[in-house]
Amino acid sequence: MTVLPNTPVFSVEGLWKVFGPKSERVPLDPELAALPAAELRSRTGCTAAVRDVSFDVRKGEVFVVMGLSGSGKSTLVRCLTRLIEPTAGAIAVDGEDVRAMDRTRLRELRRHRAAMVFQHFGLLPHRTVLDNVAYGLEIQGVGKAERRERAREVVTKVGLEGMEHRRPGQLSGGQRQRVGLARALAVDPEVLLFDEPFSALDPLIRRDMQEEVIRLHREEGRTMVFITHDLNEALKLGDRIALMRDGRVVQLGTPEEIVGSPADDYVREFVRDVPREQVLTVRTAMRAATHAEAGTGAAVTPDATVSEAIEAVARTGTPARVMDNGRCLGVVDSDALLGVVAGAAPGAAAGAEPRKEAV
Amino acid sequence: MATVTAPALRATLPGVLKHRAVRKLLLLALVAAVLAPLAHARWHSGTWPAALTVDLTDPLTHVSDWIIDNRDSHPLFLYFFGHISNGVVLSVRAVYLFLLAAGWAGVTALAAFVAWRTAGVRLALGTAAAFLTCGLLGMWVPTMQTLALMVVAVLASVAVGAVLGLAAGLSDRMDRALRPVLDTMQVLPAFAYLLPVVLVFGIGVPAAVLATVVYAAPPMARLTSLGLRGADKEVLEAVESLGATARQRLLTARIPLARRELLLGLNQTIMMALSMAVIASVIGGGGLGDRVYQALASVDVGAALAAGIPIVLLAVVLDRVTAAAGRGTEPAHGRPTTYALLAAAVAVAVAVRLAGRLDWPDAWTVAVAEPVNRVVDWMTDHLYSGVPVIGGTADWAGRFTTWVLDPVRDGLQGLPWWSVLLLVAALAWLIGTWRTALTAVLAMAAIGVLGVWEPSMDTLSQVLAAVAVTLVLGFATGVAAARDDRVERLLRPVLDVFQTMPQFVYLIPVVALFGVGRAPAVAAAVVYALPAVVRITTQGLRQVDPAALESARSLGATGGQQLRQVQLPLARPALLLALNQGVVLVLAVVIIGGLVGGGALGYDAVFGLAQGDLATGLVAGAAIVCLGLMLDRVTQPADRRAKKGA
Repeated sequence: MTVLPNTPVFSVEGLWKVFGPKSERVPLDPELAALPAAELRSRTGCTAAVRDVSFDVRKGEVFVVMGLSGSGKSTLVRCLTRLIEPTAGAIAVDGEDVRAMDRTRLRELRRHRAAMVFQHFGLLPHRTVLDNVAYGLEIQGVGKAERRERAREVVTKVGLEGMEHRRPGQLSGGQRQRVGLARALAVDPEVLLFDEPFSALDPLIRRDMQEEVIRLHREEGRTMVFITHDLNEALKLGDRIALMRDGRVVQLGTPEEIVGSPADDYVREFVRDVPREQVLTVRTAMRAATHAEAGTGAAVTPDATVSEAIEAVARTGTPARVMDNGRCLGVVDSDALLGVVAGAAPGAAAGAEPRKEAV
Repeated sequence: MATVTAPALRATLPGVLKHRAVRKLLLLALVAAVLAPLAHARWHSGTWPAALTVDLTDPLTHVSDWIIDNRDSHPLFLYFFGHISNGVVLSVRAVYLFLLAAGWAGVTALAAFVAWRTAGVRLALGTAAAFLTCGLLGMWVPTMQTLALMVVAVLASVAVGAVLGLAAGLSDRMDRALRPVLDTMQVLPAFAYLLPVVLVFGIGVPAAVLATVVYAAPPMARLTSLGLRGADKEVLEAVESLGATARQRLLTARIPLARRELLLGLNQTIMMALSMAVIASVIGGGGLGDRVYQALASVDVGAALAAGIPIVLLAVVLDRVTAAAGRGTEPAHGRPTTYALLAAAVAVAVAVRLAGRLDWPDAWTVAVAEPVNRVVDWMTDHLYSGVPVIGGTADWAGRFTTWVLDPVRDGLQGLPWWSVLLLVAALAWLIGTWRTALTAVLAMAAIGVLGVWEPSMDTLSQVLAAVAVTLVLGFATGVAAARDDRVERLLRPVLDVFQTMPQFVYLIPVVALFGVGRAPAVAAAVVYALPAVVRITTQGLRQVDPAALESARSLGATGGQQLRQVQLPLARPALLLALNQGVVLVLAVVIIGGLVGGGALGYDAVFGLAQGDLATGLVAGAAIVCLGLMLDRVTQPADRRAKKGA
């Protein structure tokens, strides 16, 4: 691809989506734009689903948009390919302005560059699994033999061999979502968009599907935008997470940043029950090593989680060294690790100043 | 529970004014108190005041005469209606000749093949048996005439309906424009469609086919639109997210997703077309309906039955086969079997043709008219009157007329006209909204303006009596069926058959039992409307939230308490729908009852058609439309409208 490696796949700037009469005036008027949802509704009859949202999706990352229902996350992801027409703001895909695209160009975007997986699967009940998977290629005008061939490959990839000729109605929820995933993968898109794909599934099957997504991401390195209301899912899958509330992004950062240094009380409340030791890395609890410590003790990588370090410390009984390419960055001892688990501020820890990204 | 709510109820009793129904009635009473004395003082008469009528007879006669005079010369007829008319005649004749050329064996074999392909072996055998029975009864040729007319009418209806439905399904504006029209067409009696068509096309096959198309196309349009609109939103979104063009979306997603509704639409269109094709015998449709019509005119029950049985068989077969197609449960057949059986069907047709037995052999017919008439004569002698204790059927009919129909009719005709309007307004407003009430009152006033107040009140009295009987029987049966699975299992096949039969057929048994007059017309209406009322009531009661019922049971409610306090209140929408359907269906048959001495509007319409006095017929037809509108709106629940707005 000719795109520079550091050009974001999606670049969103000041995006608004307002539903209601004469919605276009809301983002323009600073006074209206600042109103809380209920007041905006009573004054203008409009509902702002997405308010002034900006972010970049980097190539190859899993970008999670997370929020409770009604926070505007599903609207946001639909704005990316203009399934819902944004009210204001800019969206660029590989540097190309999405809002300026004509119908043909937009269709090209949807056909080849961004494919979506839906919460309730959105499968065509009258077609077999194979024809559902091949549907995106059929829309593109790919010949029957070729699209079936390619669909068969993808069906195998998502683990549905032998079910090619069943109808969606004969499949379980998890299998249906595999078909939805395969349909999106079959068109070989640059980005996969997931709209709460697993929230309609049972917990066990949900975990399987999450593993499946992690595996696919590891194998193919495809960029993914993942919408969810499940914090654990967000922390598990996301390279970076945008946390939404009432249409705004309240915090954007890595799982560690979200859990380790919540931007406000809302986020803090949100992440309260998260097992911190499984999300935070040893960087959070690290302190400078004394000369003696730098030579001995168990070694952990800087990206190791606190719980991994606890295990190492408990095993050896001495502070563990944080080693990066043979260089000792510092040590973590049991007090610091316990402090993380207890939720005490990691203030003393060196090198752990949370970077807060511009939202 | 009851002890907790009882004081609360008593506490709100003084605030009775807060109750919506009471407020509506008070407002209406206020309006009435002002307007009624005014109206009474100005036009003092029981019936509709002559000063307020407009006589349409002369202008309508002029129009009718003008059309008859210019039918062969005016460009509108030469280049537009003429072509339509010729096209219809040609296509009906082509289908008819094809059916005759295929011969009785060919038609039976082909029909059985189609039934087998869509619905399996059992229905294929049933179809073959049904066609052979038509032949046995000596009704092969009329059956083919009706079938030819049906084929053309159904094809046209499906085409028209699908196009309209597609437009309404894809465009919101089209939907808003079409829906009220289709809704209204749905509630009008079939008879009302005959007269305008006759005015333009004259009596004959084209008029019959076109009336059938106008009557049968709306369900197709409604269901097409419903199917297109009912498609899963997320599926359509998924299709769009893959970059489908509008055309691709329609062809690969929306239409396939609407398959069930489209086939249901086809099924309903076929059933409506059959019903109307039979009634259209009154305007020259020919075929089976004509035989029934002629036989009823001379009270020849045997001949009517001989032609009526093929109609029923045709209805049942067509319904079952198309319904099976809609369920999509057809057994999977290999192509070789399909071709082999098709070849066999063609071979049968060719063989019989070569054998020179194209027409149904006369020797194979069974004359049922004679024995049936003997039975009817016996009934006339022994059952009509003088049966000990229970009396006789004619006695019942007579007593029903004297004790129910006459008082209701005289009461309605004796009521001051403004009080009838007031009653209509009050009822419609209580059940529905002020809009439905206004429409109902305007429709009722239009009847008065047309100058057919008296016959309309006569028709109305028959409708009211029939609806009352239908509701009592229907609700009782429905409650029984909802409470007892055995009753429902017994009832289901009966209801299935009754609901598929064309309206016209119901006149035959009631004439056999009760002779002619108003009571038989009412009886036919009750029998026709009963299945729908029973079915809706049963479904409504059974669909009551099981959790609510279970919680009532867990509190120790008796069966009767459950019914009164939980099931009936929660099933209220279904019961109101049953009332609405009952009224609409009863009116349709009460009008047709004009053919068997029901008199009133139905008779005016038939008289107008038979005597070529289109002015009388058209006025009666317009009054039927108004009456239908009024009855539908009066019984239309408020939430039906509200739902549409949402």
